[in-house]
Amino acid sequence: MSAEAGNGKTEARRCNEARLASLYEEYYNKIAHYIYVRIGTKTEAEDIAGEVFLKALESLKSYKERGIPMQAWLFRIAHNLVVDHLRKASKRKTVPIDTVQIESDANVVTLVEKNIELERVNRAMEQLTREQKEVLGLRFFGGLTSKEAGSILNKSDGAIREMQRAAIAKLRKLLVTDY
Amino acid sequence: MANNFDKTLDECIDRINRGESLESCLADYPEYVKQLEPLLQAMLQTKDAYEFRPSPNAKKAARQRFNAALETLERKREARQPLFPSLFGWSRALATVAVVIVIALIGYFGLRPMLFPAGTIPQPGPVPIAPSPQPSTEGNFVFLISDDVNAIGDFESLNVSISKIGLLPGGDAEQWVEFEPEVSEVDLTLVPGDETQEIWRGNVPEVQYTKVFIYVTGVHGILKETGQTVDVKLPSQKLHISKPFQVTADTVTSFTYDLTVVATGSPQSGIKYILKPQVDQSGADHEPNKDKAKDKQP
Repeated sequence: MSAEAGNGKTEARRCNEARLASLYEEYYNKIAHYIYVRIGTKTEAEDIAGEVFLKALESLKSYKERGIPMQAWLFRIAHNLVVDHLRKASKRKTVPIDTVQIESDANVVTLVEKNIELERVNRAMEQLTREQKEVLGLRFFGGLTSKEAGSILNKSDGAIREMQRAAIAKLRKLLVTDY
Repeated sequence: MANNFDKTLDECIDRINRGESLESCLADYPEYVKQLEPLLQAMLQTKDAYEFRPSPNAKKAARQRFNAALETLERKREARQPLFPSLFGWSRALATVAVVIVIALIGYFGLRPMLFPAGTIPQPGPVPIAPSPQPSTEGNFVFLISDDVNAIGDFESLNVSISKIGLLPGGDAEQWVEFEPEVSEVDLTLVPGDETQEIWRGNVPEVQYTKVFIYVTGVHGILKETGQTVDVKLPSQKLHISKPFQVTADTVTSFTYDLTVVATGSPQSGIKYILKPQVDQSGADHEPNKDKAKDKQP
């Protein structure tokens, strides 16, 4: 490899590192939110979201811009970490979704109602297939487009739209019947 | 029908994700209100239930770990720099090549009068570049510039000077087809998204091409907010992309080279702008070449 080519590669790597750093502010929260919905615990979601960026930095060499934007690539890493986490968690005791923390001065009634609603939605979400949950997680909480979600799940955007409609219809039905 | 509804639902989800209200979305699709409303309500209900904002401390701590990892990478890169930068600051490989060339030149010019008597000195051979195509209004090829929207909104103007365009035909021959643009400066703020500016039109050989480059000689950006000139970095002056396309008879091939400016850093550490090619947004379109089609008619 010539020195020029080497410098070119180093510059390209630096450029990608700068892009990754620039995505941090906007995407850390979205990725943490997506992970939270998938695994159910806030502190672990925050930790894993941090891990996503470290993992991305390590794997930046393998990132190529063809086909998948960098933000969608970050969600692919998040998806893989979630799958790993759930696999490990299934071998441990099941961890329930976080409950709302009640602070002394807070409106207790509102918080309890919120907690009940969260449990109800969570029960409905649990009835969806793993792929349906994945699609809703990426679309509702990750804010990705259907095309970007498709690039992560290796499906066409048409297939994602179809799964999305079926998932929401099922969710709606479950929410209506579960008072 | 279901396909149309899926697309409408998808569009509404995107709009709600961007902050629009349920009502504004329903108002645009009166034919689907009955089906859309319960589904979008379920979406909002789910989003509300899972409301979550990571703690600023967790985010800050993760950011610090990320920055530390970035610094470690940079330090490792610096440590890998060769310990032989002495010859004008060049790398060992480059310095070795330079020494070999100097020795070869001394040897050549020293022996030349003996090897080639007066009048027999050979002239330099042809460079590996095909004859330069000339611009023409009835050409088979159009070269356009566009800007994929990222940080372009920060700029009042962002003028990019391009001195050369190169196309690499497929196959083994490394013979670039190079030409100078007729329009050598493009303001990227005027060509956002699907907008384009034609900078060359003419005839190029009708073959398959695998790579395209533009040679950028200058970038001049003025920020909207301050009205001041800002330094916009380039990864390289020669911006290559690999995007195969075909130029054929009977069609006019329009190749759009998409550039984008991205912002990095933070207001505290300072914002830096980088101009780079956007490969996935670049590419060729074909439309019938009316002149050639006319020629073929009996």
